[in-house]
Amino acid sequence: MSSHTYTSLLYLASGVLLLSAVGIVWGRPLRVAVRLLAAQGAALAAIPVLGGAYRHDWYLLGVGLAVCVLRAAVLPGLLARLVPPPVGLTDPREQTGAGERHETGPLLGTSASLMVTAGAVVLAYAVGQPLVALDPSPSTRAAPVALAVVLMGVLLLVTRRRAVSQIVAFLTLDNGIAAVAFLLTSGVPLVVELGASLDLLLFVLVTQVLTARMRVKFGGTDLGELQELHE
Amino acid sequence: MLSVSGVAGMVTQVVGVAAGAPLLVGWMRQVRARLEGRAGPGPAQPWRDLRKQLHKQNITPDGTTVVFAAAPVVLAGTSLVIAAIVPGVTTGSPLDRVGDLFAVVGVLLLGTVALALAGLDTGTAFGGMGASRVVTIAALVEPTILVAGVALSVPAHSSNLGRIVATTAADPGLVASPAAALAFAALAVVVVAETGRLPVDNPATHLELTMVHEAMILEYTGPRLALIEWAAAMRLTVLLTLLVNLFVPWGVAGAGAGPAGLLVGLGAVAFKVAALGTALAAAEVFLAKLRLFRVPELLAGSFLLGLLAATTSYFLTGPAG
Amino acid sequence: MSTAACFAGVLGGVSLSGAAAVAAVPTRVSAAASGLATAAVGVTGLVGGALAVAGDLRPAWVGWLVPLSGASFAADATSGLFLLVIGAVSVVAGLYTVGYAAHGHLGRAPLAVLPVFAGAMLVVPLAAAVTTLLLFWEIMALTSLLLVLAEWRREQVRAAALSYAAMTQLGFVAILLGLVVFAAAAPGHAETFPALRDAAVHLGPGPRAAVFLLTLAGFGSKAGLVPLHVWLPKAHPEAPGPVSALMSAAMVNLGIYGIVRVDFVLLGPGPRWWGLVLLAVGALTAVYSVLQAAVATDLKRLLAYSTSENMGLICVALGTAAVLAAAGRPAVAAVATTAALVHLVGHAAFKTLGFLAAGGVAAVTGQRDLDALGGLARPMPVTTVAFGIAALGAAGLPLGCGFVGEWLLVQALTHAVAAGGTLLALVVPLAVGVVALTTGLGVAAMVKAFGVGFLARPRSEGAQRAGEVPATMIAAMALGAISCGVLAVAPAVLVPVLSRVLPELPTGTAHGPGPALGTLVRLPGVGGSVSPALLAVAVGAGVLLALAAARWGSRRRPAARTAALWTCGGGGLTSRMEYTATSFADPLRRVFDAVLRPDVEHVVIAYAQSPYLLEKVSYRSWVHDTVEVVLYRPVLRAVAAAARGARRAHTGSIHAYLAYGAAGLLVALVVVL
Repeated sequence: MSSHTYTSLLYLASGVLLLSAVGIVWGRPLRVAVRLLAAQGAALAAIPVLGGAYRHDWYLLGVGLAVCVLRAAVLPGLLARLVPPPVGLTDPREQTGAGERHETGPLLGTSASLMVTAGAVVLAYAVGQPLVALDPSPSTRAAPVALAVVLMGVLLLVTRRRAVSQIVAFLTLDNGIAAVAFLLTSGVPLVVELGASLDLLLFVLVTQVLTARMRVKFGGTDLGELQELHE
Repeated sequence: MLSVSGVAGMVTQVVGVAAGAPLLVGWMRQVRARLEGRAGPGPAQPWRDLRKQLHKQNITPDGTTVVFAAAPVVLAGTSLVIAAIVPGVTTGSPLDRVGDLFAVVGVLLLGTVALALAGLDTGTAFGGMGASRVVTIAALVEPTILVAGVALSVPAHSSNLGRIVATTAADPGLVASPAAALAFAALAVVVVAETGRLPVDNPATHLELTMVHEAMILEYTGPRLALIEWAAAMRLTVLLTLLVNLFVPWGVAGAGAGPAGLLVGLGAVAFKVAALGTALAAAEVFLAKLRLFRVPELLAGSFLLGLLAATTSYFLTGPAG
Repeated sequence: MSTAACFAGVLGGVSLSGAAAVAAVPTRVSAAASGLATAAVGVTGLVGGALAVAGDLRPAWVGWLVPLSGASFAADATSGLFLLVIGAVSVVAGLYTVGYAAHGHLGRAPLAVLPVFAGAMLVVPLAAAVTTLLLFWEIMALTSLLLVLAEWRREQVRAAALSYAAMTQLGFVAILLGLVVFAAAAPGHAETFPALRDAAVHLGPGPRAAVFLLTLAGFGSKAGLVPLHVWLPKAHPEAPGPVSALMSAAMVNLGIYGIVRVDFVLLGPGPRWWGLVLLAVGALTAVYSVLQAAVATDLKRLLAYSTSENMGLICVALGTAAVLAAAGRPAVAAVATTAALVHLVGHAAFKTLGFLAAGGVAAVTGQRDLDALGGLARPMPVTTVAFGIAALGAAGLPLGCGFVGEWLLVQALTHAVAAGGTLLALVVPLAVGVVALTTGLGVAAMVKAFGVGFLARPRSEGAQRAGEVPATMIAAMALGAISCGVLAVAPAVLVPVLSRVLPELPTGTAHGPGPALGTLVRLPGVGGSVSPALLAVAVGAGVLLALAAARWGSRRRPAARTAALWTCGGGGLTSRMEYTATSFADPLRRVFDAVLRPDVEHVVIAYAQSPYLLEKVSYRSWVHDTVEVVLYRPVLRAVAAAARGARRAHTGSIHAYLAYGAAGLLVALVVVL
């Protein structure tokens, strides 16, 4: 692989990373958000895979493939089970309310979140410049993009109400962090990466159980309703 | 600057758009009909409709002014101008230097304004409603177009469309750049909004209260309606051409191409536009119209994508000269 | 070769003798006298502008005019450009006044003041010393205040004039303070502009920033920059037609002149943040004002907000130029400066025409409310066409005279992205978005003004009774329309002036080539070209082609006829069913609800028998100027409270006042000694 192709593909992967994060902020249907998360995981995995292929680093390639399996397939697959299928495909008696398919009543309207996202991206680019200046290379240049994804994940965590959206937000945040790590260090020790990913897996499984319990108890997963629990 | 090749390319483009636009609309309707399990009237139906309308009587509603009569002509005229400028078959159109991306956007808006004024001119509630909605959408689309335009102009050091397309054709790496991906997503939303397709407007609606484009032209009939339908089809074709050639410029004839080059260009662009039209029609099967007040959300998102395209291109390519 | 002082004297002579003539002649002809005198002042301004651009006006000092310091005058090409613009507007507005005032809309006093106002505006760009500038600035402000008060019997006029008086005096104080700080740094406290220019290098960064901010606030308030714009959309619409045109197309330009003269030429080139401040203020002004224009229902208020919007765009261009000049990109900076100047001229042309047409409508129908207008295209065809041309320009669309300026601005911004610096790369796309949103909303505002105000059917008695305006007003509007048309297709007419002005400005072509404004508008060093003339030809050809296409099948077509409107089968259309300006702007009002914060009163009264049977529904909404509500009302309330406090000290006892005087003297002595 030539250096030019490597750079182009690397930037394309970071572009997809960013685009999918924007898509998650933009859209309300949870099913779409989960699909975008899968695309994001694939884009994230592409970063070490490309790095491995470019530098003939088999170890990095392996990390990339592991990331790909976990973040593009396993985690979104688990999440998808939490979102009820579209209306019409299920028995009406099993319907748990339309609110479970869409992010309802986020704390910040879509247009406003998009504007805040614009601000966050600009901020990420601005604060990322010193990082790039440390070691200007194609991969560090893309680090501010990953930083922007981190900020967008935080924004999502702060503003979303549904439990599934919260998991999506958390995974976006983690994808961003992992991307920053891959881009800046060009290679995270396998143990660290696998540890983080297993934590995630555990987190998703626990929340999956929790969500199911919440739905049984409250009939919905609006986290705003949890406020009452502390009393 | 007048080269034979350029003039021939421009004429090919204008004729191709004028003749092909109704076919594209017919094709898209046909694709949609098939996907929805209907037989469909075939791609030539819009042409048959146009012929029928053109043989009808010209009716001027009471109380309307010259604006009502002039608007269809202005709309069709501006669409033809854009068809001549936009690099569809060739990048060497002699009008390329006369109007750049921003001028094309302005000319497009000129047509929109003419039709909106005609809607208001009838004095009917639906005319005003359509005009108000169309102008609102046009106003909110504007930032996305210009910001995405800036993102595209920066690598080419020029906002002239021929130059941008030629630059992309010469450096395929630009196509795969994140800036291009983001700008493409932004401009795709723009094209959908500007041409009144789903989810912004429903071209096949029969309910006046939800109409945007159709509400403005409710009072039109006969040859003037034909002109508007033809112009709307041309706008769709031209915008799809622009979208597809800005990001997938292969096959476009260069500035000095011969007849063979122009033919290849024509074939390539016809194929690409038909493919994009098919994709758009197929996507529309799965989409419902957005409420008017959800449209700003869509446009805000596209603006964000355009903005990201403009800034990302700068940060990833580094401070280029 | 004559001196600038001579020329200023001629201007003063013409203005004052015009005023005297108006006062002397019988009432019957006073309107004609005033109009012709104003036009004569304008012609003098045009001559002077031409001389100044050619470099034929020598600087001069007149000792006796102002006590202590004397008055000093000079004219360079920059002054010349502003003289030409203001002179041209004065000629057109003067001619218009002849017919407008004959209707009896203007008393003798405003008619006498009108030529003096035009004269004062024309002397301001000639001033070459702080005192002279301030003197004529104040004469301009006072005469315009008198003109705003022409219809003082109406309550709104008095309120607008009060707001104008307060803002213009505060602006004056800001300019005064700024220039005093500036002059204090000059050797021997010299106050002529050449001395100030030399002193600028000795000014420390702190005072320099203070001078910049104070003069920006002062001149910016005259140009209607947010948040100091609140007087503009009140005062400009309340003034009589020709005065609105003079204020909105000529006087606001002097605010820009002040910024260019003091902050760019004398004080500058400044650090980068100056440019960013200008850019931010301009962007805020442009978007906020155009949003207000898009939801305004008063025709003249809409135009006034549009003035503010265009001044904002000019400010964005100047800010971009300053930032680029500071970043070491003189060629692109020159493009931005050219954009500012071209847009300034274009704005003057279309805004004059717009206000003249709107003034005619207001005079004939007695209405300015778009919700009560409509259907004017038949009774007032010339006025309608004139307003259409103005609206096309104001919308910034191709074939309109605002297009080239906005195009140059977008080009300058495009090429500023790559000009270097993280900040620019982040700020510039946002600025492009702002300019684009401004254009889009401007189109919405102008479609509303033209479509609702002039097309469709009359919505009130006044609009029904409308008739065309007299011939002199038509002649004036024709002059305006011709200038709009020429500027729209042939910006090359500006080349002789701009080629002299640009080298004088630090952000102009002093350090590099400028854009070529020929048939093909081209930019130096960067790609990108447009040709307004050829584009107009192409659109014309396209329209002809479309007409020819529509002929297909016309031989077998039955004869054309007129028929009743279909209205979806409704029939019996009345003007109550029409879309109004309020309903037209409703989607935008909702989208920008958070910024506009409209007051809505929605009352539904149901019959007692059932909540579903409605007896009456009423809906009213008002859009206030949010800046005024948020920023000014608390300040005014605080001032009023302070005044109430101060009133306690006013006992009415003469001894108490003497004691205050003595205490003041003591304090002064202690401080000084």
